Amino acid sequence: MCMRFELPNVTEMNDWIAIGALALVGLLIPLAMMTVSYLLRPSVPETSKRATYESGEVPTGGTRIRFNIQYYMVALLFVVFDIETVLLFPWAVVYLDAIESDAVSLLEILGPMVAFVAILLVGLGWAWRSGAVQWAQTPRQVDDT
Amino acid sequence: MTAAATFFPLQNGETVLLPERLADLTGLGEFGVAGELLAAFIAAFIVANIMLAMTGVAGPWAKRKITASFTDRIAVNHLGPGGILIIVADSVRLLSKENIIPENADRPAYDLAPIVIAGSALLGFAVIPMGSGIHLADPEVGLAFVFAVAGIASIGLVMAGYASGNKYSMLGGLRAVAQNIAYEIPLVVTGMSVVLFAGSLQMGTIVEAQAEPLVTIAGVTIPSWFALVNPFAFVLFLIANFAEVGRNPFDMPEAPAELIAGYQTEYSSVYFVLVYLGEFLHIFLGGAIIATIFLGGPAGPGPAELGIVWFIIKIWGVFFLTQWLRSAIPRVRIDHLIEIGWKGLLVLAFANLFLTAAIVGVIA
Repeated sequence: MCMRFELPNVTEMNDWIAIGALALVGLLIPLAMMTVSYLLRPSVPETSKRATYESGEVPTGGTRIRFNIQYYMVALLFVVFDIETVLLFPWAVVYLDAIESDAVSLLEILGPMVAFVAILLVGLGWAWRSGAVQWAQTPRQVDDT
Repeated sequence: MTAAATFFPLQNGETVLLPERLADLTGLGEFGVAGELLAAFIAAFIVANIMLAMTGVAGPWAKRKITASFTDRIAVNHLGPGGILIIVADSVRLLSKENIIPENADRPAYDLAPIVIAGSALLGFAVIPMGSGIHLADPEVGLAFVFAVAGIASIGLVMAGYASGNKYSMLGGLRAVAQNIAYEIPLVVTGMSVVLFAGSLQMGTIVEAQAEPLVTIAGVTIPSWFALVNPFAFVLFLIANFAEVGRNPFDMPEAPAELIAGYQTEYSSVYFVLVYLGEFLHIFLGGAIIATIFLGGPAGPGPAELGIVWFIIKIWGVFFLTQWLRSAIPRVRIDHLIEIGWKGLLVLAFANLFLTAAIVGVIA
């Protein structure tokens, strides 16, 4: 795990045990609050109390219908760029080390990543031009994409 | 900036994390694995309660007071000095409200969403160094971990939006996703430009790297906090962070004037408390990330024991900024939001990354 110098009288622990412990606490605290609330709160069932809230009107129509969420293409772009950020992480971590060790020149370490991102940005530019990175599209744009 | 040369090699010699410190103080370390687990659990409980206490002060009291001062009002002032006891009154009031489940609710998801929203925001604080020895864990992938965990919240928002069976909730949940996918990448890429300076994802190392002196003016040494070394990245990260946590001017998912309360419209009683709590925890988590990677973490003038005080001042500074923007800036429209994210921030974030890389490369 971490590069730590051994100190006398200090127990070495795995970081992920502590993170797991916080995950457990993060689950237990909401559950405890729910239990307290369950013991305190009243229950007064009435007709139409449970009706879906639509600004006080009688609710009309279903909620889970099919409609255009407008950002399908944007979501596809997100997947591409998200994977790309994962690839950037190891590069960013070794960057300073590689430069300082003089094993590689600046061009050798910076060049490939610039080229890689540039290709993606060209793709973004194409999506931009064809109107994919837009919330509302005109019917003509929808036909084009 | 010759200080960059001293950032390496990786040294994390003196860091003693909170579970280890507890294990030694209480002698739990001698009980093997069971003692370790118990020490880790107690430490996690302490960290969680520090953050819950902050949200407790921020949600029912500080938020009202700050907004009221911006709009020339007084806000809560009846209970206790400055109305501070409203925190107790509101907690009891909200927990003892009847829990009304809407008839169209999709049950398991509707009940799980508040837990996911509150729990995921809490989990992010595991890797944040809060100073004064309060640091739960310091894995090598710290920064990637905190971004990953902060991203879980949007799953909770979609669950809440879809499972409520309400049209406003549905639109709020969908907007939350649109917003998260537009701003997550600028956020992570801007955060990466800090990694270029520090050469590590480990939070402890990133904080240590910022302790190097930048310049000394008239006897006052200014540390190389990355906000000062790279102010452009700092501003970009602040903007992306406001969108990520869904605060003004990017609070479309709730947009009270358009969507009632967005994804939380149908939540009442303890479920509402959890969703609301999760939101505030998320603001503080954003503040904690900003403080750690741009503002030197728990560093500040005075002895090192004051670390936690400086850390709290920094995250409250970010919280105050969100409330200031809430009062001062109008909401961005949803179609503009996508365009600002993809056509503006994303391109600027990559420009910042490669400019930083070039500068680090030339100087080092």
